[in-house]
Formats: sequence, C-alpha cells, structure tokens
Amino acid sequence: MKWRKLIIATHRDVGYFFAGLTVIYAISGIAVNHIEDWNPNYVIRTESVRVEELPTGGNAVLAATVLERMGIAEEPESVVRMAPDQLKIFLHQRTLTVALPAGEVQDEHARRRYAFFEVNYLHLNHGKGFWTWFADLYAVGLIVLACTGIFIITGKKGLGGRGRWLLIAGLAIPIVYLVLVVWF
Amino acid sequence: MRRVLTITLALAFLATVPVFAGGDAVEYGDGVTIEQAVAMETLLASPDDYLGKTIRVDGVITGVCKKRGCWMQVTDPDTGNGVRIKVEDGVIVFPYEAMGKKGSAEGVFEAITLTPKQVEARAAQKAAEHDHAEGESCDKTDPKQEGAGCDAPVQQNRIFMIKGTGAVIQS
Repeated sequence: MKWRKLIIATHRDVGYFFAGLTVIYAISGIAVNHIEDWNPNYVIRTESVRVEELPTGGNAVLAATVLERMGIAEEPESVVRMAPDQLKIFLHQRTLTVALPAGEVQDEHARRRYAFFEVNYLHLNHGKGFWTWFADLYAVGLIVLACTGIFIITGKKGLGGRGRWLLIAGLAIPIVYLVLVVWF
Repeated sequence: MRRVLTITLALAFLATVPVFAGGDAVEYGDGVTIEQAVAMETLLASPDDYLGKTIRVDGVITGVCKKRGCWMQVTDPDTGNGVRIKVEDGVIVFPYEAMGKKGSAEGVFEAITLTPKQVEARAAQKAAEHDHAEGESCDKTDPKQEGAGCDAPVQQNRIFMIKGTGAVIQS
C-alpha cells in the first residue's frame, strides 16, 4: 500500500509541475505537425506596389527614392543590390524587393506569430543550452506520468480490466503504423 | 541546502542561455572562429580552390528559411554575390528577423552536382515561381550574372553552398 500512495503522490506532483508545459508542447506539436500547410512561427504578408520608373543611380539613392515614393520615413537597415535589375531594401520586419528600373516593389511584412512563436521556440528547443536539459527533464517526467498513471486506478477500469485493453490499443496503433509504413 | 540549489540552478541557467558574442551580436552554433573572411567574389570566381575547406563569409543576410530557419543567404551588399549557409534542421535555427542584418558564417564549402534534368527543372522553376515555398524570393538568374542573386546559381551544373557550423548575426 505504501507503493500505491507513492505512485499516486508522484503522479499528482509531477502532473501539476508539468501540466503547463504539456499544454505548451501540445499546442506547438499541433502547430508544427501542419508545417506544410502554414508557417507556425511567422505571419508573412506580401503586397505588390508600383512606384514610378526609377532612374539609374547608386543603391542609397535608389533606396531613398523608393522609400520617399512609398511614404516610408524609416531608415533602412541595409540596402543590397542583388542583381543589376533588383534591389532589396531591408527595414524593421519588412523587406522591399524592387525590380529596376520598372519600379515594381514586392513589399513583404513579417512578424512573429503571437504565442505560437514562443511555444514553438520551447518545443523545438531553438534556444539550446539550459532548455535542452529542462526538456530532457520534462521527457523523464512524462515517462514517470505514464508509468504511474496506469497503476492509479484499480479494479474493472484499471489494468486488471478495461485499462489493459486501452493500454494495448494505444500501443498497437503506432506499432501497426510502423509495420505498414516503415518495416514492410 | 535549498538556497544552494536555487543559486546553482540560477547560475546554470545564466551560463547556458543564448550566447551573446559581444556588443549587439548573437552567436549561433559554434559561432565564428576564423579571423579572415573569404570575399564572396573570390569565392564564387574560384570555387574549386575552396571546396571541402572550412571558410568564413561576411555579408548581409538577404534570405532566411521562413519555416524552419535551416538556411540563410549571406550576400555581399556591393556586388550582390552571395552563398547559402545550410545547417541541419533544428541544430541551428536562424531567425527570420535576421533578414537585412550583417552577419558572418562559417562552415565547409561544398558543391552539389546537378543532373541535366535538374538544371533544366531548376531554371524553369526560377522563371515560373516568384516565391519559394520554404524561403525568401529569388530573382531570375541571368546566366551572365554568375554569382549574383539570392541563391548561388548553377555553375557548370554545380550549386555551391556552405554547410554551416556557426554564425554570428548583428542585432
């Protein structure tokens, strides 16, 4: 009976400690699972704008002309002549790609996707360092939660009854998938 | 005991947060250790001299993988010559905010040889598509502008890139 109390207490305390992080990881998991369908980290919006035909000139002069015609007061962070017929002007969270000399501008705005950027940052361990170890600890915590959770309920709904079948079913699905997709 | 543990954890945390390379620069991966960068023009004019070697390039970051941050394009702002720095997914993640910033990258200079079919498909794709699914838009590659553009173009059926081990990006 001592074991049972220990199992319940462990499951409870580890569960509370990692409840928030589980929700964080789950949201991120869904987000990055569909990375083919959307950008889970950034919202990127591109518009086409046409300014008047641009004169020949140096990068700085051209950039200043474009910015003036677009009504942008911000100083560019960088201006790069990508090719004789293309200029890129980099602003804060914004990139102007200018076709020369026609003056067609692809105006790209990019910003972090609120909350998703942060949960993905944690889930995918972009920061490395400390978070690598804490994420490992969390993984161990999940193993502890799983291994203690199956023993909490006794009787017909526990491992002696329905619980056993749910456990087997939960394991069978990934195994069958691997058999069908990977091993054969 | 509890105080000692708290202080130890706090110090461990501070010691391992993202490394700031001094001033306003952020370091990624192993950072940059080579003192002297290879000029982009030199690199792309004589790529065979650098194949397989660990080199450093400096420039402006003109492209970043939008979804996974698994590559960035470093371009010489004066010539438009640039090279892609490719890293392993998840090992180094370049932030999209790095666009337009000055940066340095280090890694092994490599060439990928394309089949004639791949060369054709690539040229058609660049002509037809304005935006790549995964990354920054690239201009059409004029065969005369070898080395220009946001992607190192195909030269003699080879694409050149740097397998990056580290970078430093000014903020």
